[in-house]
Amino acid sequence: MARQQGWFALILALAIAAGALVASFGLQLGLDLRGGSQLTLQVLPAGAIRSVDHEQLEAVKEVLERRINGLGVAESTLQTVGNDQLVLQLPGEQDPTRAAKVLGSTALLEFRSQRPGTEREMANLLPLKRQAEAVLASRQPRPQPVNGQASPPSPKVDLSAEDLAKALRGLGLTVPAGSSEADQLKLLLDAVNQRIVALYGPTAIAGKDLVTAGRQQQATGNNWDVTLKFTPQGGDNFAALTQAIAGTGRVLGIVLDGRSISEATVGPEFKSAGITGGAATITGNFSADEAHDLEVQLRGGSLPLPVKVIEQRSIGPSLGAENIRTSLSAALAGLALVAVFMVVVYRLPGMVAVLALSLYALFNLAMYALIPVTLTLPGIAGFILSVGMAVDANVLIFERLKEELRSGNTLIRSIDTGFALAFSSIFDGHVTGLISCAALFFLGTGLVKGFAVTLAIGLLLSLFTALTCTRTLLRLLMTYPALRRPTYFLPARQLPSAVA
Amino acid sequence: MTVAPSPRFRINRHRRLAWIGSFVGIVLSLVGMALCWLNPTIRAPLKPGLDFTGGTQIQLERACDNSCGGLTTSQVQQQLAVISLPPEPGSRSPNLSGSVVQLLDGGRSLTLRVPALASEQSKALVAQLEAQIGPLSPAGTAINTIGPTLGSQLLRSSVISLLVSFAAIALYITFTYSGVFAFLALLCLAHDVLFTCGAFAWLGLLAGVEVDSLFAVALITVAGYSVTDTVVVYDRIREQKKTIGDLPMVQQVDVAVDATLTRSLYTSLTTLLPLVGLLLFGGSSLFWFAMALSIGIAVGSWSSIGLAPTLLPVLSRR
Repeated sequence: MARQQGWFALILALAIAAGALVASFGLQLGLDLRGGSQLTLQVLPAGAIRSVDHEQLEAVKEVLERRINGLGVAESTLQTVGNDQLVLQLPGEQDPTRAAKVLGSTALLEFRSQRPGTEREMANLLPLKRQAEAVLASRQPRPQPVNGQASPPSPKVDLSAEDLAKALRGLGLTVPAGSSEADQLKLLLDAVNQRIVALYGPTAIAGKDLVTAGRQQQATGNNWDVTLKFTPQGGDNFAALTQAIAGTGRVLGIVLDGRSISEATVGPEFKSAGITGGAATITGNFSADEAHDLEVQLRGGSLPLPVKVIEQRSIGPSLGAENIRTSLSAALAGLALVAVFMVVVYRLPGMVAVLALSLYALFNLAMYALIPVTLTLPGIAGFILSVGMAVDANVLIFERLKEELRSGNTLIRSIDTGFALAFSSIFDGHVTGLISCAALFFLGTGLVKGFAVTLAIGLLLSLFTALTCTRTLLRLLMTYPALRRPTYFLPARQLPSAVA
Repeated sequence: MTVAPSPRFRINRHRRLAWIGSFVGIVLSLVGMALCWLNPTIRAPLKPGLDFTGGTQIQLERACDNSCGGLTTSQVQQQLAVISLPPEPGSRSPNLSGSVVQLLDGGRSLTLRVPALASEQSKALVAQLEAQIGPLSPAGTAINTIGPTLGSQLLRSSVISLLVSFAAIALYITFTYSGVFAFLALLCLAHDVLFTCGAFAWLGLLAGVEVDSLFAVALITVAGYSVTDTVVVYDRIREQKKTIGDLPMVQQVDVAVDATLTRSLYTSLTTLLPLVGLLLFGGSSLFWFAMALSIGIAVGSWSSIGLAPTLLPVLSRR
């Protein structure tokens, strides 16, 4: 008797604590429930590195974090997944497009000078590059005019189909049949850029020689420049590099991720000392956003290994809210039916079970708030399923209880035996469930993991509520003589006449 | 010494029926999966969804009440054909002519399945499509892009975790019961999983239903549930050996199944209730998940009542 009351006090205290926990911490909802975007980035091995290890993944993550901070997106989280993946979550209506672009490129910046003796080839390639770029730019959809101010009409540039085909053949390229003009232009541009980069000498200055990067608008037009500030060592290297090519007509190439983004000649006036001052400007005709993104990338440093965006999911907030509303109402409707079923079939213990299962739901929510578990749709599914298992535990117990009553045992003894006999099957069922959860959690991917976590929490709590809460409540009720009637447990006709 | 109870329901009298039922179901499932495999548009035992094939899926909601003009899938496809996408360095512009367009809610919302697009490209696609069929409600837009490598990764990790959990469960049952019990539990589990897959193969063939990563989660759940259900009967047999002593295995099974029958049916019913709730009122994203679970759980209680216990005497005799 005193033991029951002790247990009851403990359960009551736990329920209050659980309520307080849920109220104060609240629940974290996953992006599929509240809307937002998720990017999965795969880190690719490169060069001498055959497989990505934990240290390299952390190094990549560090750089990406600096870039994310530079972008100024709110409440984003970046997590490592497995050995070679990173997941970025952007809640709310934030544009994942920019993030994908800024995070996805290596941003390896190199300054390289043109090798002597390649002037003729460069003189052929550079005009071709300018032309292809200009044609491609003119084919892009023009940005919407801002404040009613019409954007300047695109310059009339064109490259006839024959000239394009001739240029492609000149570079030894075969054009896939049926490819569009834009595809062909891109093909041409890629090839030209490769040829240009091939004409450069070794890297003289790289991204690590930068102190900081910035941007400024050009004096004329809407284009932006990206400004660079070198370390003292980098500044010296830059001076030496510019001095070597000053007045020769050879170009200084700025190479980003293996693509030549800017080529500049250095005037003869720098012949004596090179360009000093430890600063430089990239004039690549950037738009404001492009300049900002490059600045963020250069400031964050280049990635030690290349990454690739392999998954992008975004869901509008109303779709998320709709999902949670409908799924919640569905789950509640189903559970209400389960409650009705339990009370109809099992009478008094059925009511006790409904109370215990309500506590069970509360404990689950408290665990989600405490751990914390981010609730996603598969997570909710895991929860619903664990409710099924918790109900099953009660069904097992009550069926045993009924059996004992039918075979003529007293009420109190039947309750005790019912719990004792049902224990082993409940335990085995829950252990096999937990074994599956462990396998899913340690070997599964994100979605499957969320499911495994809520199911495992549910199974552990179900063992506790079925064996402790239901039992304590039932025993406590049995201390009231008025409730100690077998007909509150079984229909009278099923009872052996001796007891009824 | 207690007298051996006489069960009201003797499962072994009906075991041929149970075996034939399961056999027919399994054959139908295998035929469904084979037909799926032979189908030139599917070429897999189940119709793989975006999660496994890779690609971009765009869901759009039009922001208009009744003023929206009617829309047909061929109209949308024509518009897709003329859309020009911004180029992405290092890759060709994707070909949109093979896109799959689905209209929902009488043309109010639509789903597009296109080759994998870079995020700028999908943005441009939505912007250009909005000019034609707009206005669109930005809050009702969902864009998912899955790289082709991710799908195979997901498949691999799901299969590995499934196999590992099978092995661990088999070990546990061998340890607590016996090897024959473990073998039959795994047989039942394979039966339930195969049955669910077969049902979705037919759904894929006849209704175009695709399996996604949630389906993999559902299969894993069905497997766990199947074992739990089977274990309850096993537990009863183990307990009987202590209380009513040695009976022929056939009788042991009859008594145990009879004693646990109510529980098995009630438990399946109570687990199915929330799932039926999800089927009827749940969000569209969980509909097929709830369907897979419902099928699997119904089949699971069939196999744990009719299959595992009735095969036990057959195997134990040897």
